[in-house]
Amino acid sequence: MSQHQPSATEPQRRSPGGRRDDRRHTPKVNRKGIYQRALRSAFAKLDPRIAVRNPVMFVVWLGVFVTFLVTLDPNLFGTVSDHVAQQRWLNGIICLILFFTVLFANFAEAVAEGRGKAQADALRSTRSDTIARKILPDGTVQEVNSTALRRGDQVRVVAGDMIPADGEVIQGIGSVDESAITGESAPVLKQPGTDIASSVTGGTRLLSDELLIRITSDPGQGFIDRMISLVEGASRTKTPNEIALTVLLAVLTQVFLIVVATLPAIATYIANFLETTLGTQAATQFRSGSSIAILIALLVALIPTTIGGLLSAIGIAGMDRVAQFNVIATSGRAVEACGDVNTLVLDKTGTITLGNRLADEFIPVNGHAVADVAQVCLAASLFDETPEGRSIVQLAQQLGASLDLTGKQAEGIEFSARTRMSGTDLDGAEYRKGAVDAIKGFVRSRGGQVPDTLDQAYEQVSHLGGTPLAACRGNDIYGVIYLKDIVKPGLRERFDQLRRMGVKTVMLTGDNRITASVIAREAGVDDFIAEATPEDKIEVIRTEQAQGKLVAMTGDGTNDAPALAQANVGLAMNSGTQAAKEAANMVDLDSDPTKLIDLVTIGKQLLITRGALTTFSVANDIAKYFAIIPTLFAAAGIGALNIMQLKSAQSAIVAALIYNALIIPALIPLALKGVEFRPLTADQLLRRNILIYGIGGVIAPFIAIKLIDLILPIA
Amino acid sequence: MFSKLIHSIESLTHFDFDFRRHKFSVALFFALCFNLLLAPLVYAATTSELTRSQAWALGLLGLSTAALSIYLFFVMFAPEKF
Amino acid sequence: MLQGWLQIGLTLLLVVLITPVLGRYIARVFLAQKTRLDPLLAPVDRLLLRLIGVRSQDGMTGWQYARAIFYSNFAMALLLAILLFNQSWLPFNPTRLTSPTWDTNLHTIISFITNTNQQHYSGEVTYSYFSQFAGLGYMMFVSAATGIAVGIAFIRGLTGRPLGNFYHDLILAITRILLPLSILGAIALIAAGIPETLAGPVLVPTLEDPAVQQAIARGPVAHFEIIKELGENGGGFFAINSAHPFENPNGFTNLLETVAILAIPSALIYTYGIFANNLKQAWLVYCIPFALLVGFVVVSAIAEYNGNPIVNTALGVNQAVNLEGKEVRFGWAQSALFAVVTTGSMCGAVTGMVDSMMPLSGLVTLSNLFLQIVFGGQGTGTAYLFAYLILAVFVTGLMVGRTPEFLGRKIEKQEVVLASFLILLVHPIAILLPSAIALVFPDFQGISNPGFHGLSQVIYEYASAAANNGSGLEGLADSQPSPIALATGAIPSPTALWWNLSTSLSLLAGRYIPITALLLLADSLSRKQPVPATAGTLHTNTTLFTGITAGVIVILGALTFFPVLALGPIAEAFQLTQGMR
Repeated sequence: MSQHQPSATEPQRRSPGGRRDDRRHTPKVNRKGIYQRALRSAFAKLDPRIAVRNPVMFVVWLGVFVTFLVTLDPNLFGTVSDHVAQQRWLNGIICLILFFTVLFANFAEAVAEGRGKAQADALRSTRSDTIARKILPDGTVQEVNSTALRRGDQVRVVAGDMIPADGEVIQGIGSVDESAITGESAPVLKQPGTDIASSVTGGTRLLSDELLIRITSDPGQGFIDRMISLVEGASRTKTPNEIALTVLLAVLTQVFLIVVATLPAIATYIANFLETTLGTQAATQFRSGSSIAILIALLVALIPTTIGGLLSAIGIAGMDRVAQFNVIATSGRAVEACGDVNTLVLDKTGTITLGNRLADEFIPVNGHAVADVAQVCLAASLFDETPEGRSIVQLAQQLGASLDLTGKQAEGIEFSARTRMSGTDLDGAEYRKGAVDAIKGFVRSRGGQVPDTLDQAYEQVSHLGGTPLAACRGNDIYGVIYLKDIVKPGLRERFDQLRRMGVKTVMLTGDNRITASVIAREAGVDDFIAEATPEDKIEVIRTEQAQGKLVAMTGDGTNDAPALAQANVGLAMNSGTQAAKEAANMVDLDSDPTKLIDLVTIGKQLLITRGALTTFSVANDIAKYFAIIPTLFAAAGIGALNIMQLKSAQSAIVAALIYNALIIPALIPLALKGVEFRPLTADQLLRRNILIYGIGGVIAPFIAIKLIDLILPIA
Repeated sequence: MFSKLIHSIESLTHFDFDFRRHKFSVALFFALCFNLLLAPLVYAATTSELTRSQAWALGLLGLSTAALSIYLFFVMFAPEKF
Repeated sequence: MLQGWLQIGLTLLLVVLITPVLGRYIARVFLAQKTRLDPLLAPVDRLLLRLIGVRSQDGMTGWQYARAIFYSNFAMALLLAILLFNQSWLPFNPTRLTSPTWDTNLHTIISFITNTNQQHYSGEVTYSYFSQFAGLGYMMFVSAATGIAVGIAFIRGLTGRPLGNFYHDLILAITRILLPLSILGAIALIAAGIPETLAGPVLVPTLEDPAVQQAIARGPVAHFEIIKELGENGGGFFAINSAHPFENPNGFTNLLETVAILAIPSALIYTYGIFANNLKQAWLVYCIPFALLVGFVVVSAIAEYNGNPIVNTALGVNQAVNLEGKEVRFGWAQSALFAVVTTGSMCGAVTGMVDSMMPLSGLVTLSNLFLQIVFGGQGTGTAYLFAYLILAVFVTGLMVGRTPEFLGRKIEKQEVVLASFLILLVHPIAILLPSAIALVFPDFQGISNPGFHGLSQVIYEYASAAANNGSGLEGLADSQPSPIALATGAIPSPTALWWNLSTSLSLLAGRYIPITALLLLADSLSRKQPVPATAGTLHTNTTLFTGITAGVIVILGALTFFPVLALGPIAEAFQLTQGMR
């Protein structure tokens, strides 16, 4: 059914761990100038109306404003110290670092968005307005702009034309170049009637012949339009996890705001006490530690700016990673759900096995030799152009069969659903191959005998999970052809990985139980449903969901649409019908169902990245506390807590802030690429990641702040 | 003369001001007004260390902090909007 | 020295031994399984429920449960108010006490209804026997039972059960747990020498001058004493609480009281294990507060044992135990243990003056108040502990690549709002904000020991209120004159008014906001469809995850208060060691 035959090796190469260059990226994206554009965009995002949407960075942004004021007038909120010029310097430096902190966060988001924008631009370039030949109800043709077409209109497209909008072929056959959206250069045949091959996408080009198309989408709502808005992030909404994380970040920010806002009262109390016991000098020194600029610096150091600045970039980059896999996700929610999937429902054909069965063995019956069987099979398959037929020819030739057709009269008998066999009439001899029952009937009708060994061979092949075909010449049955389902190479390992990650795989197939169980064992899936109908698919999904599991599935036909909609993650093939694509929340432009497995890892990677940076950000607070508080209030005699031996309060504050600012750009690559994912169990993953991001998050800032403090020329 | 006065009063009371469109300006205005009450309090509380203008600025800073806190509460309870 | 450590070790061992026994019993009670007391008490329960018109099978949602708590607690508070304001003509008032000032009454009512028992008064000269046993004693039972009910409802929600019925749980908590244990305990305490009498104070001639008579206060102490410890109440019959020889006369009573304080909050973790059918996790989770408890006791005990360096220098010795403010019959070890136990669990009874302990003990006790989970309050402590677990799951659980789950239930926005709000935000608001105000206005303070220690005093007062602990670092002028003093012409003090009113707000915020949040959290968890566990599920019953939770507790729970700890007890400790005046 599928127009695009996935090759045996191609999908394996595109594992998320593989090199990015290996993956084909659809429309050619111009990456040049992406950083310049991001930089410009980073400044544009300083607009308070945009900044207010990121609570953590908004607080920093306000900090920039207030520290700017105290740079202008250090005595604005109270006379801080005698050295106004020195104080102004410090305030200015703090203001500058805070400004860069905001800028870096904006830049991270802008870079992530930039990739999507570049892709959207490439797509947009394909969507130039064209003139369409609209057919009016009275049959006349009117030339209209493609944007004037509405759902239900009919248009005629001739070779060389751009298809003006999404639609359905109702007349004619033609080949269409869909490389603009799929990147696949081979043209695709479109014709009416068949579910899949009849849908065309606006922006693709008709290469041959002429098509009559019924438009199925209004302007601006076509497939390409939706794709553009999706990759551009225009319709981006926060995912459930992002929302929950935003809450936590807001709470942490609120907590530290209270801690810092109440600090002046406490500090003043202590300062007054020091004044009476240790004298004015100690008190003044202590007071300068709680100037407004320093309090703001403390606040910014404590609130989770690292994750706050990178949160949206992580989400956007996750969508982008999906897009680079040539999959269009309708929402970030769907990508996130991929990580949570418990069960994958996979079709056998095309997903687990190669689409076609191949001849593996000839089993002779009736006392014939294998060579004779090969000869008969070769003859019966002469005109069979299906992959099965060709594989029979190939196997027969390997076994030494050959046929000299010179001077002979040969006629092909085509397969039909009624006869369930095909074959060749060669000089009066009837060579047939087909379903075992059908051949039995054929042989009996020619007065032949059905040998007992035939049923044995039939059983044997079934038990091996193959499809048996019988071959005969006239009324003599020669043998059984063992058509074998070929499991895609490498799948078994992938399923093992999935199992380790706690994802169960269920195979759906129309085959009988025996065949299905053999394939299931061979492919290493956890469960299978034999003799499945499309209704079974939705039933499987419902039962899994009733147990609280999240289910992902792939589909392409119209009858898959309800199941795609029911599944938590529905991946539709681009070669599929419009109905399927609309019901699904992801569309695979390469029409490669195995990608579902990759999507699971991308979803997990997205969540892991978020969790890792949150943990890192929170763990950093220990070091920042120990850097700032003891040096700041050293006059209270707690200098011994300054375990990093930082030079001075100023140096400590500035070092902590510089670390705080620089960690954002330092982590941009990680946020965009995602934390490396390994197919381990949850507990192994946790141990590994807590070691890197938790313990690492505690230690790293101690080292970094100490180093910055050493380098800083501040006394 | 009298009617002129009434007219000018009318024009004063009928000025067209869309409060929703100028939400921020209105809030700022009220904050500044409120600060006129707050600043003397701050001035009184911080025994003669502050000048009047510093007390005024400090009052405004306190108000902004409170506003920021309210904003963060808003984020906590309606995070979807951000 | 060895003897002291042995005392500490054996006491804690006893607590651990009791945990499974009591935990299993509590689980049986609330899982509606048969207990030995059923034949005797089931008719009583039924009668009580019929009297208040509640059918025990009426389940409540989280919000209904919370509302039932508000209404019933408000009604109880009104009852107590009537009693306290009218104590002058009510019976059992041998010393003819009139009502104290209105703010003392208000603070006392709020403090007892919230299971805090912060006392800004001296029991023996402020409240009559009737006020104490019928008013305050009644509150000690119902507020503790409310806590247990909340804890049980939370455990039910966490394990996917309906939350149950508040009134039913409240009655069960009293008739099956608090009352039987109190009766046994009170008898033991009476046997050990604690008075239980309605007779007035004894007048005895003093030894120095037989012409001068001294009044020795007594009263119905024993039964009051046991529920004080068992229910994490901590409100002493006498002003000096368990340091008083009539409240805590000897080593045996001290052991009994220490164990009684920890018994229920620690057992509830085991109860959770039975509800969740996951005893392994229960014991792992148990390790977090237990490890913190042991660590804190060690820090405090060492500090007390080594004594004050300034005093040591003055005496010319290397080390002299700090016995200032301690009862000599308990010594450094038992005093340190009791101080840590009483602040960790939200009891708040004291056997010695925390004010006179070493700064490191102050650091430890303050940390206890901030964390609230070193077994924590009656019922609420366990719930807090699991709320921390949920928060830890959320922060680190994403790192396994799935939406975080706890016990198969997804942690989403709603849960994060509630858990982070109740754990992270209530405390800074209820402690730091009023502390800042009090510190800015010297007229409010009445701090006896200005400086770093004074800061600790203020922070401690609000932390004790917000955590519903009730102990005090003291040293603040927070008490109004007693009715006796008022009658002789004393004037109410403005600082006491400030402390009474401001701590009342902290008390209410620290009790009802978290309880509501906990119940809503339990409710939303109980309604979630459980996700079956797979290899991809984060297992929360591992040592690794328990360690992570401990880290989250320390970073999020305690680090918030690092600045005040640094300027309070830590600066004070340095002040002592560096000999800075």
